[in-house]
This record gives sequence, structure tokens and C-alpha cells, in this order.
Amino acid sequence: MVHALDEIRRTLKPDGTLIDLRPVEDHWAVEIVSSASYQLAGRLTDVPIAVADDEAAFHAMREVESRGWYIKEKEEEFAFFYYWDTPSEMKEFMDEEWEGLEKMDANVFSAVKSTWTMANADARVRVRVKMLITKWISC
Amino acid sequence: MTAEKDPEGFERKHLHKFADFANKRVLEVGCGEGRLTWQYAAASTLTVGFDSDHDALRVARADAPHTMQKKVHFAEAGARNIPFANESFDIAVLAWSL
Repeated sequence: MVHALDEIRRTLKPDGTLIDLRPVEDHWAVEIVSSASYQLAGRLTDVPIAVADDEAAFHAMREVESRGWYIKEKEEEFAFFYYWDTPSEMKEFMDEEWEGLEKMDANVFSAVKSTWTMANADARVRVRVKMLITKWISC
Repeated sequence: MTAEKDPEGFERKHLHKFADFANKRVLEVGCGEGRLTWQYAAASTLTVGFDSDHDALRVARADAPHTMQKKVHFAEAGARNIPFANESFDIAVLAWSL
């Protein structure tokens, strides 16, 4: 990662901007949302490999900062939502797209299904992904 | 089975809050299918997205709006050897790729 960040720096003009935009593990919430309200149904389990990826990314940025290659200008967290019409669609998506990256325990899936069943007819399921955006200036 | 992603547009809003893409040359690292690219490329002078995933790049090229085909380009490459000259870009975006 550090080498790649040096390569990016090479291609940037002096005082160029690097935007690091990525999701970070944080027991992402699974919510049932309708036109009337939203409810927390449960949380996903952070998977060790994804946590390790986050730590490696943070380590790489600390390293390039300590070498004086980039200066952090600002940073914010925000939510990025994935929506599905039904819990089954959510489960199918996770099994195919997030296999090995995110884990939904069986009891959480049961809670999602029951909460969704009791909610308004227009209720959907969403996962609240924690996003981090950081602006760096190359030196 | 598909997911609707960020219908609120929070990602786009934050991206534009953190960088002014107007008249800038932008390098997107790990552009994948170009989902993020289309959220800022219209403002840029030139946007180049690269990724090592050949299939994802095919999707990105196929999805390119006609109006952006001259200013947006995609390349197959890895971040360890970026195939562009020194000091070519004003902004680099790590698109969910660090």
C-alpha cells in the first residue's frame, strides 16, 4: 500500500489532492425503514480479514504521513446505505457479493425478518455502512 | 437480486464537499465498474480510472454516457505501477480501494 501511495504521489502535481474514500468495519446496522419510521433490527459481525484490511489501510496512511509525503487536511464519517425490498434479497446479496467480508448471524437474520414482517407494507431493509472520507495534500 | 446503493446521495455530496473537480485532471484508483466515476467526472477536464479487474472495466466502458466519452478514459493497471507520467493529475481518488 505504501508503494502504491508513493506511485499516486508521483502522478500528482505539487500540492495535489488525494481523496481516500472507503468503508470501515463498525458492526454495520441492519435497519427496517418505511415511510413512517426506521428500526434497528440488528448488527453485522465484523470479520477478522476485513478488520485487518482496515488496520493495514490506516497503517499505510500513517506511514506516508510520517514520511512527509502527504498532509491530512480534513476527515469525516458518513453513512452509505444499501437497500433491499426484502430480507431474503438482502441475504442473497450478502452471500454473493460480501462473502467472507461481512457476516450476518442467524439470530440477526431472524430478527430482521420478524421486524420487517411486522413493519408497514412499504418497509424495506437497509444496511448502514460506515464510510470514511479523508482529504490529503501531497508534498 | 440487486441492492439500491446510496439513494440519498451522501457519497456524492461528501465527495464534492472534499474536492472541487471543476477543470481538474482526475485519476481514480480502483475505479471498478465506474460507479463513483460518474458522480464527479462531468465537472472534470479529464478523468482517468484504472483497475486491474478487466471485466469491471468492460462494464465501466459500456456504461460511459455519450457526453463523457471524450473526457473519461479507463485503463487496466495496478496501483504498484501506475502507467502515467509524473505530475499528470490534480486530484487522485482512492475509490474504496485502499
